[in-house]
Amino acid sequence: MKHYVLIRINTNKKSKVILKLNKINVDIRNVRYEDKAIILEVLSEDLKRIKKYLLSEKVEIIGDTGVYEAKRVIKNNMQLIVSVIFGLLVFLVLSNVVVKVNVVHQSSEIRQLLSDALEERGVKPLTFKKSYQEYEDVITDIKNAYKDKIEWLEIDVQGMVINVRVEERIINEDKQEDANCHIVAAKSGVIRSILTEKGVAMVRLNDFVKKDDILINGEIMLNEEVKNNVCAKGEVYAEVWYKVGVSLPLDYVEEEYTKKMRFNFMVKDKNEEYVILKSRVKEKEVKNVLLFKLFNLEFYLQKEYEVRRVNKTYTEEEALNKAKELAYEKMAIKSNKQTDKIHEKYLKKNINNGNLDIDMFIAIEEQIGVKKYYSISESDTDVE
Amino acid sequence: MRIMKNLQNFLLDQDYYIDIFNNCLHVYYYMEMVSLSDKQIELKLKEFTLVIEGENLLVSAMDNHEILVKGIINNVRFVR
Repeated sequence: MKHYVLIRINTNKKSKVILKLNKINVDIRNVRYEDKAIILEVLSEDLKRIKKYLLSEKVEIIGDTGVYEAKRVIKNNMQLIVSVIFGLLVFLVLSNVVVKVNVVHQSSEIRQLLSDALEERGVKPLTFKKSYQEYEDVITDIKNAYKDKIEWLEIDVQGMVINVRVEERIINEDKQEDANCHIVAAKSGVIRSILTEKGVAMVRLNDFVKKDDILINGEIMLNEEVKNNVCAKGEVYAEVWYKVGVSLPLDYVEEEYTKKMRFNFMVKDKNEEYVILKSRVKEKEVKNVLLFKLFNLEFYLQKEYEVRRVNKTYTEEEALNKAKELAYEKMAIKSNKQTDKIHEKYLKKNINNGNLDIDMFIAIEEQIGVKKYYSISESDTDVE
Repeated sequence: MRIMKNLQNFLLDQDYYIDIFNNCLHVYYYMEMVSLSDKQIELKLKEFTLVIEGENLLVSAMDNHEILVKGIINNVRFVR
């Protein structure tokens, strides 16, 4: 791109100057004639020649043209431009930041519940605002998570403050309370303790019960006649039995930390994670520390801890203990309850192709009573 | 405009162009500016000298081959 500069030639003999410029083959454009000067644009590379040939005239540069003028203006006003851009950025950032989340509800329990739920989903003070769709997703998510507690939820963004309005779900349980029910056995087992609050206990300690046997009766009998019907209430603990099979490989790989740790950076959007620097650690375990969030992007500092993988083998005793742990874990999932172990027995224990296979019999004490509703006219209905 | 002129020049292969407007005159492919004053400008072209007469004549833009003269143009003559 040709660089034209704006010059002023102070002279009374304008025609002579133009003729001279013509003689020395200087390109000129946008010539303006003033009282005792000519203002014109010439190529910057011709400037030396002009000054050389117009010795008796004063030639001064008064500006640039086009892009060069823009560059000069930007350079001269750099501080102002930087301040304005910085100000705009600060304004943009601040106008997108949440400083307060107000949950509007009378009940402090609901307010606390909702505050925690919102915080878990990233709606908390000193974070960036989310889009309308994201707030809608948060609302749907919270509503699904607390179906029994939240009837209606609204997130209203007002400037830097978020107002969350909520309606509590009130479940009318009168009908259920009025309904008649028995406590029946959910599993087979031997009764170990009974605590009856309502109804008549039908079993005694050390009785063996089968699944669906009535443990606490909702029918209050007198002289073989039903005098009253209630919803039986109480807790019945019984010894129940599980048979659990576990197979555990004797060889395993253990990760040991070396003392080497390297930093890295990671940017995460909704679906993807982008590591900025090339990783300098081969075998590693990564821990992420959130630095800041910008719109939908999250910037993390990564700590890459080098690990060494060591092949190890369990001794028989270790393997047995580990297999037992696994069996209990498996059983806890199966029974879905925290239980008290009564006794355990290995049914099978052998090592096959580097694997330890065990079958265990475990007896535990757990609550087996569940409500079973019935109507007086008809027989059994729902089991809760 | 220059692109158009170059294109015309290439297609028509002319030695010069002279465009006369209401108060300006554009000469393409002049060889030399002989004289310049606010009342008369003489431009040497390949086969003749172009004499522009008028009042307040000014050179508005100029390069090796092209010149734009502004002012009140009263007379344009070809001197061979």
